[in-house]
Amino acid sequence: MTDLHAHTHDEHAAPPAPAGWRRLTAGGWLRVLWLTPLFFGFGLGLPVLLRYAAGWHPLWKGSVLVSVELVTTPLGFLVAIGGFDYWAHYASGRPTRVDDHASHGARSWRDYFRVNTDHKVIGIQYVVTTIIFFCIGGLFAMLFRAELAQPGDQFFNPQTYNVLVSEHAALMIFLFVIPAFAGLGNYVIPLMIGAADMAFPRLNALSFWLLPVAGTMLLVGMVTPGGGPSSGWTCYAPLCSHQPLGQVFFNMGVQWAGASSIMTALNFLVTIITMRAPGMTFWRMPLLVWANFTTSLLVVIATPFIAGSQFFVMFDRVLHMNFFEAGGGGYVLGYQHIFWFYSHPAVYIMILPGFGIISEVIAVMSRKPVFGYRLMALSLMAILVLGFSVWAHHMFVAGMAGWLRVPMMVTSMVIAVPTGVKVFSWLATMWNGRIRFTTPMLFALGFISMFVIGGLSGIYLASVPIDIHASDTYFIVAHIHYVLFGGSVFTIFAGIYYWFPKMTGKMYDEKLGQLHFWLTFIGFNLTFFPMHYIGLQGMPRRVADYAHRFADINLFISIASFGLGASTLVFLYNMVNSWAHGREAGGNPWRSLTLEWQVSSPPPIFNFDEIPQVVGNPYEYGTPGARHAILGAPKTEPVGAD
Amino acid sequence: MRRGSIIQLAAIALVAGAICTAVALAIPWLPVAAGQEAVRTHFTYWFVTIICIGVFSVVAAVLTYTVWKFRAGPDDDSDGPPTHGNTKLEIVWTAIPAVLVTAISVVSAIVLAQNGQAGPNPLIVKVHAQQFAWSFTYPNGQTYGYLTVPTGRHVKLEITTSDVIHSFWVPQLSQKQDAVPGMINSIVITPTRVGTYPVICTELCGLGHALMRSHVDIVSPANYAAWVATGGKAAGPPGLAVFQQNGCGGCHTFTPASSTGTVGPNLDNLAALAKRANRGTLAAFIEESIVKPSAYLEPGYPDAMPHIFGTQIPPGKLKQLVQYLAAGPKQ
Repeated sequence: MTDLHAHTHDEHAAPPAPAGWRRLTAGGWLRVLWLTPLFFGFGLGLPVLLRYAAGWHPLWKGSVLVSVELVTTPLGFLVAIGGFDYWAHYASGRPTRVDDHASHGARSWRDYFRVNTDHKVIGIQYVVTTIIFFCIGGLFAMLFRAELAQPGDQFFNPQTYNVLVSEHAALMIFLFVIPAFAGLGNYVIPLMIGAADMAFPRLNALSFWLLPVAGTMLLVGMVTPGGGPSSGWTCYAPLCSHQPLGQVFFNMGVQWAGASSIMTALNFLVTIITMRAPGMTFWRMPLLVWANFTTSLLVVIATPFIAGSQFFVMFDRVLHMNFFEAGGGGYVLGYQHIFWFYSHPAVYIMILPGFGIISEVIAVMSRKPVFGYRLMALSLMAILVLGFSVWAHHMFVAGMAGWLRVPMMVTSMVIAVPTGVKVFSWLATMWNGRIRFTTPMLFALGFISMFVIGGLSGIYLASVPIDIHASDTYFIVAHIHYVLFGGSVFTIFAGIYYWFPKMTGKMYDEKLGQLHFWLTFIGFNLTFFPMHYIGLQGMPRRVADYAHRFADINLFISIASFGLGASTLVFLYNMVNSWAHGREAGGNPWRSLTLEWQVSSPPPIFNFDEIPQVVGNPYEYGTPGARHAILGAPKTEPVGAD
Repeated sequence: MRRGSIIQLAAIALVAGAICTAVALAIPWLPVAAGQEAVRTHFTYWFVTIICIGVFSVVAAVLTYTVWKFRAGPDDDSDGPPTHGNTKLEIVWTAIPAVLVTAISVVSAIVLAQNGQAGPNPLIVKVHAQQFAWSFTYPNGQTYGYLTVPTGRHVKLEITTSDVIHSFWVPQLSQKQDAVPGMINSIVITPTRVGTYPVICTELCGLGHALMRSHVDIVSPANYAAWVATGGKAAGPPGLAVFQQNGCGGCHTFTPASSTGTVGPNLDNLAALAKRANRGTLAAFIEESIVKPSAYLEPGYPDAMPHIFGTQIPPGKLKQLVQYLAAGPKQ
């Protein structure tokens, strides 16, 4: 075949399904049924055999077996579902299939449950999966808010309470916010830069399938005999090295989620650097692409550190390595330094893609170019660089080297400047605009107002003396939810509503969308604002029981949190119902200039029939006749002036 | 920008600022300050609050004005003006926040340095944290389950632990410090206000974390001298002091000690539990359960009790504790 994309759509049709016994050996759920148990058995047999050969007792040691199983069983599942099929085919020396689209694109709903290499399918797989984990994590939060409605023990013992708190945070961070952005980015980035797909579609598919693996691991850990992971999502050593067996599920679950994240980030980077359409210079990229570019840099640099931290604590437990055991010569604070060297950049991993979404939504809905586009992109880069120099502000009371506190305070303060630049630029973008108050725009406005509050409480916490008072209290809980829920989650909702018409071809119900926004916005503030107060007054975080004087306000918070949880039902109903019965959205319902809206909704399987020619900036609203790109243009078209 | 819109913006900003100021003043956000360090920390807090109210008011005003003035009508398909930026404006809103955060950093650094000053002759108290109790050792070697300090004197707390990370916090003193295995971390408190305030563990340290509480008695120098002279004898039987020093109440309910923990079995029912366990006399059962907690587990409870008490509690004190617990709930 000479031209990869010249063939007709019939050639893209799925090949005939395997028949007879081949259905058992072809990649898919049938193979999962027999191959995964095989790998499970291998993971069980290997350590037992080795221990027997070495004469170690007992042969069945829980922590050893679990550590090995949590590698072999998921690997078996991924092999069975077909995550490695093409590479195995290639590595075994069989003739390569250069243009094999057998597993590319969705022709029926079943294709969403298979290994699929189409970034649009993968994007939707990501978004739907992460919303499921969002609901589970939210349910856990409502359970422990029920416990906190009154002081003393109501429903859960401290062990179960700690498990719920730890799992709530772990699911929301590792299985919702981070991968939800990866999902939206997956769907939108290739379309926005005029590419047919991601640079590494098979790696992309594998990245997605690691996610249900990681989520299942975290959830199964909860019901492990002895108790689930209960040392918080921060999993501080040495506490977590001495927790019940479920903690190993946490340590390993984070590995799989982290690997998924790193692989996706690499994919984003290569795609953005090498696969932009002709004329798409860096300074013509939409800010969402810029945001995911910076985020991906953060991910590939920082995420290996949390992988390391979780391996180290696991080795402390399983192999008695004493990385963080003071009694064995370990350095306890080393864990926190490594952990936060990832986990502070992680808060930018969890907000920068949101910044990108907000820039898109605000420009389109205000019908104006993004104000100070270049400074917006540069401030993303500034946050990227500064983000690596602030981690120890999580450790002001930890007992680390005293001289580190003031420098880390200064960098933490300085990072407020580029963040402020972004907020002011969004406001200036709306100024004099023609604002449409659609659901994505409402979430964008809600995001700005809540993120400003979260940012300002962050200034309090950057100041060392105030942080010493507020550290590990409900003030921290309030702050993190203002930036992570009022911040990240609002931007995810904005992104989902904004691209819902593109992904499904259907329009969501605007009235229900607005109802969802107002219920979420009000429920959110009633739940989290009072936490500032009880925190400063003296209520520590991560406690199932608390002083009686906080009883009334905690009851109020619990009731509000149930309302906040219930608001999600409106969202779910709207999504499901609109996908099934919504009116046709058309290719470009928002009259946007960026490339993803210049193709049909949902887009063709290979996105563009002709490679688009980018001729201008992405946000030229208000300039009559301005074009960002020309589709179907002859390749000789000169590149327009920047 | 027209003059009219500037006046309107300023008016909204003033209203927003007034509302924020009212919220900041009407609600007692901070606990009372019972020490010099807390007074300085509260000053920092108010300094930051004033700046934040200013920033928030400006943002709220612009946002409100924008949403109110620039909404598009239902049939309005027009675009806004193609404004791409304004370098002067962008410099201004980069520079002003930079100046503000610099000011906050300077004030915070000064306060931090002052709050670390222990002076030439501080009272040094060793603080030992363990799952799930605090103990405080004075220069004369005496150890208590609670902290007693005089007003008007720098007190240096040397904090450590032998198991996992804990964190010492007295909200009214605004000082907090993690207790880290293998390290001795110090903080300075300078009490100014007589009273009894809670000591709270703020770092998740296991099942009894929520109840890892004690208290600090801030007393006048004269009363402190008297307390030292009498050896700080607490009212009640000697076993109560042992019970409190070792944090038994973090996990166990025992009415005479007013403890309400539910991680481990209820010690009010010890007599019945011992009968069911059938492992010798009541006193022998209690002693075994403290020294070798895994020897017999009450059904329904995990093997969660630390194994340190056998070596940590000296034999004499262990005897007092066993006697105290054996005496039952009505004492």
